[in-house]
Amino acid sequence: MSERIGVYICHCGTNIAGIVNVADVSKWAGERLADKGVVISRDYKFMCSSLGQELIQKDIKEQKLTRVVVAACSPHLHERTFRNACKGAGLNPYLCELVSIREQDSWVHTDKVAATAKAKAIVSGGVARVIHHEALEPLRVPIHPATLVVGGGIAGIQAALEIADAGFRVYLVEREPSIGGHMAQFDKTFPTLDCSACILTPKMVDVGNHPNITLLTWSEVQKVDGYVGNFAVTIKKKPRYIKTEDCTGCGICWEKCPKKVIDNVFEAGMGNRKAVYVPFPQAVPKYPVIDDVNCTYYLKGTCKACEKFCPTNAIDFNQKAEEITVEVGNIILATGYDLFDARRIPQYGYGKLANVYTNLEFERLCNAAGPTGGNIVLRDGKTTPKTVGIVHCVGSRDKNYNAYCSAICCMQSLKFAHLVRERTGAEVYNFYIDIRTPSKGYEEFYQRLLEEGTRFVRGKVAEVTNVARVPEEEGKLIIQVEDTLIGKQRRIPVDMVVLSSGMQARHDSKEVAKLFGISCSADAWYIERHPKLDPVATMTEGVYIAGCAQGPKDIPASVVQGAAAAARILGKIQQKEIALEPVRATINQDQCSGCRICNNLCPFNAILFHEDKMVSEVNPALCQGCGTCVAACPAGAISGTGFSNEQILSQIDGLLLLNISNAAVPIEQ
Amino acid sequence: MVDELSFSYEVGNLMYASHGEPITNCLQCGTCSGTCPAVEFMDHTPRQIIGMIRADFKEEVMASNTYWTCASCYYCSVRCPAEIDIADMMYALKRYSMWKGQFQEGLIGPDFSEAFVKMIVNSGRSFEPLLAAAYLPKFSARDIVQEGLTATGLVLSGKMPLLPKKIKGLKKFQQMVRRIIPIGETS
Amino acid sequence: MKQYAYYPGCSLESLGKSYHVSTLAVASALGVELKEIEDWNCCGATAYFPVDELLAYTLTARNLAKAEKTGLDFVAPCSACYKNAYFTNSYIQKDPDLADHINYALEADNLHIAGTSKVRHLIEVFINDVGFDEIKNKVTNPLKGLRIAPYYGCQILRPRKDHEDVENPQYFEGLLSTLGAEPIDYASKARCCGGSLIITNRKAALDMVRILLQDAINHNADVIATTCPMCDVNLEVYQAQVNREFGTQYAIPVMYFTQLMGLAFGILPGHLGIAKRQVSGASMLALAQNTK
Repeated sequence: MSERIGVYICHCGTNIAGIVNVADVSKWAGERLADKGVVISRDYKFMCSSLGQELIQKDIKEQKLTRVVVAACSPHLHERTFRNACKGAGLNPYLCELVSIREQDSWVHTDKVAATAKAKAIVSGGVARVIHHEALEPLRVPIHPATLVVGGGIAGIQAALEIADAGFRVYLVEREPSIGGHMAQFDKTFPTLDCSACILTPKMVDVGNHPNITLLTWSEVQKVDGYVGNFAVTIKKKPRYIKTEDCTGCGICWEKCPKKVIDNVFEAGMGNRKAVYVPFPQAVPKYPVIDDVNCTYYLKGTCKACEKFCPTNAIDFNQKAEEITVEVGNIILATGYDLFDARRIPQYGYGKLANVYTNLEFERLCNAAGPTGGNIVLRDGKTTPKTVGIVHCVGSRDKNYNAYCSAICCMQSLKFAHLVRERTGAEVYNFYIDIRTPSKGYEEFYQRLLEEGTRFVRGKVAEVTNVARVPEEEGKLIIQVEDTLIGKQRRIPVDMVVLSSGMQARHDSKEVAKLFGISCSADAWYIERHPKLDPVATMTEGVYIAGCAQGPKDIPASVVQGAAAAARILGKIQQKEIALEPVRATINQDQCSGCRICNNLCPFNAILFHEDKMVSEVNPALCQGCGTCVAACPAGAISGTGFSNEQILSQIDGLLLLNISNAAVPIEQ
Repeated sequence: MVDELSFSYEVGNLMYASHGEPITNCLQCGTCSGTCPAVEFMDHTPRQIIGMIRADFKEEVMASNTYWTCASCYYCSVRCPAEIDIADMMYALKRYSMWKGQFQEGLIGPDFSEAFVKMIVNSGRSFEPLLAAAYLPKFSARDIVQEGLTATGLVLSGKMPLLPKKIKGLKKFQQMVRRIIPIGETS
Repeated sequence: MKQYAYYPGCSLESLGKSYHVSTLAVASALGVELKEIEDWNCCGATAYFPVDELLAYTLTARNLAKAEKTGLDFVAPCSACYKNAYFTNSYIQKDPDLADHINYALEADNLHIAGTSKVRHLIEVFINDVGFDEIKNKVTNPLKGLRIAPYYGCQILRPRKDHEDVENPQYFEGLLSTLGAEPIDYASKARCCGGSLIITNRKAALDMVRILLQDAINHNADVIATTCPMCDVNLEVYQAQVNREFGTQYAIPVMYFTQLMGLAFGILPGHLGIAKRQVSGASMLALAQNTK
């Protein structure tokens, strides 16, 4: 019993019809492929239009079609359209095959005769293949209503609050002792010059108090099992050595602690903390942690001052790490960024010349709660600079380091210029290649800085040196740069240099990505599903990305992405189940020899091995239908639904126009 | 296809072996000129020269002394964020200049290079005193005297050879050279 | 006995004679055999590139091809020769078309280049192949208290980007420390001396030399150590002209690193070409005596 196949050739206006003779192809398919099962063949101007779709639907009903082939644009664009059209007419959507005669034919050739012949071959391939298609049903998996958010910066906080406010449980995991991320380190934020902590801490407090948020700070994700809607995540809670049920956050322990340690994380190396500490006063949660690498008790077995003075007996030096496993339906990765290490550019003198600062160090300097109480002074702790040079594009827009632009450094540099002027009255120089101020209020901020008398020098700084050539340069840091707008090399003596170091992906982003089954780009940022149309989803269902982990961006954009990821997840939770593409691999267990070659090849960890039966099985919810195992299986026991060997080989035969009588004979017009 | 080749295309063609990015990638950031140790003596900065090349200001570029003042220290090339080999581009401009015989008046570089090339073809080794004939005419009287004093000091300390050397396989060497460009005796 | 195909370069036979003499003396002391390449030709330095690129590479290729025949590493003591050889070799490896062109020319001299030699600079041969420990063993006269400014210059470092510290190399300092001396840290150590600009644009070169001398002196250097005859000539021979041009009074000795190594090894100054130095040869000899 042969199938009844309908073939539809789209003109796509002149996109296809301009090169391919669509009428000829349609007629050819109707006549030459008739003995393959083609009962009707049409061509139409725009198949994707409602009229075009109705054409198909009418034919399905009247001609009792059992298969449909649409020759048009790439399936990426309209596969869903035509599948839905078939579904609407009562035909299983997976019995519809789309072949591209646009991207793969009319758009890449200029020879009309050859292109038309190619289109015929493509259609023939589609017809040969579709005969072997099977009616499939999408996989439906239930969605667990809880969500995991990894990373407690502004993006993660926003996402967590939105989901929690909607009434669903969120597990917020943060590897530092407190949430807040980089935003907690800043002094003021551009362009409004809001105090960073003032706008961040209310959200942090909300997170801390929210009944629906389980806050797991000083914790890290160890393992992720499962698939969309059904993840089992193992989280390691590192020991704080504080009993949180007894601790009141009174602060006596860190007051009494005699051991000072340079704080390289929050204070960017500019200030100290104690061995028992909270990273900053507004920390959420308020519980401190003991740094067991530097604490005297762990090093020598003595001291224990914190334990002696704690009024509620909350110190527990023997506390162990705890591993918990939570069940969630979706995951958001909002793990933020690392700062580019300015030591990689030795000619800027960072690390060698004392008064060269990075942007994060400078933020701490400006911050009222920072190591100098918000006073902008040199490394000696007391001298106020009279001239400050701010260097844009450090490590960014540079093929020697990171080729991309870090998006926020221009605004940040302008902000610094303003703060320096405001607090010290010093002369400020900004050295830039371009001024990038794209968002709302940003260009106006630049205007404001111009009005404040900031000296802008267009030139990428070549060197920062302390080698004086003339008396005015003695004792100063000299910035050597070409002032490109006047075409002269200038040596400008300043007291302090601030480097706007760029953003980089976290040093362990590749490992973290692997843990969650997603990928990173060449620059090590997490990869989004589509750079323009889907920036928060990833190629792995159920895992989303938000904030700087996806690429450099400012605070408003991070908030937006956090909210977007949350909204997506809320939509899925509300639908209670998700439909997955049924194009999957299946293992014929009778043919499987148990060699397990496929197990480790699967990039999505979707293959389980049954020890008792000594056979492997594909988990259809995790499988993405990539085909690696299908190709690798030495017994040929794995087949892809929707991509079976039979389907592929038939399509090849069809492309080669095999077994088609008079395939090359022209059609009577 | 364009009818006339752009100047940047012509310059690019003269950089055969170099592995840098094309000069059309230049961001005009100024790192090269900020780094260049000889920029004070150039009438245009290296960055300006690239800008002028891209704008097809050929005459102005050739008339500039910039590329003959380049010491080829390669600091610019190493620091360029667009990874353009700027020092090699300066060599390409020198080559263009020698080929067309176009350069700023009074420059010593072109004569020096020409003399050097001829000397090597004729003997296979370099010999400083012969080169002096190329550049001394352009020196001021005071400088010629200075140079004479320096040279005398060198001869006395045995560092300046009085006779030029020749390599043994000179004939074959010259044949080798002529397979690249036809200079030297034809025998 | 480590063997190398030695390419002295034209300067070492004239202006850089003392470099040649001291190199051979030190190599001999270290058990390094430098076999001079047979009938080598001038590499063209920086004067050929302004005329013809291909010819410039061909000149160097002739010497590399000769080294290839011996199967030994190609060692150049002059940074300009080194840079030319390194890049000619690298381009021939990467670009088969260029290799063909050059081989067509080399054929006329019965030579062929495959790009198989390794191109080395003399200083890194001593540092990497002999090693600091071995060098230290040979030091009988440590240069105690001698403050030396290591002058790398430009072409030994650039435009190569495949080594760790293009901006702030430390290996020369390491060598000087091994000799018992005190290397000084000064920012201009990799700044250009002007090279051939000393002829083609004297004013520019003198200014560049002045900046180097001033920086070394500001850091209380007793002597500047060089790794290239061109740099050595610019810094030493033209010091007097710098003084005349700028009204300065520089009189700082300049020595090749091999001469310093030789002194540390206890080799007589006469065998190291020190007496032939331009800048106060006498004071230099005195310095040599003081370090005993």
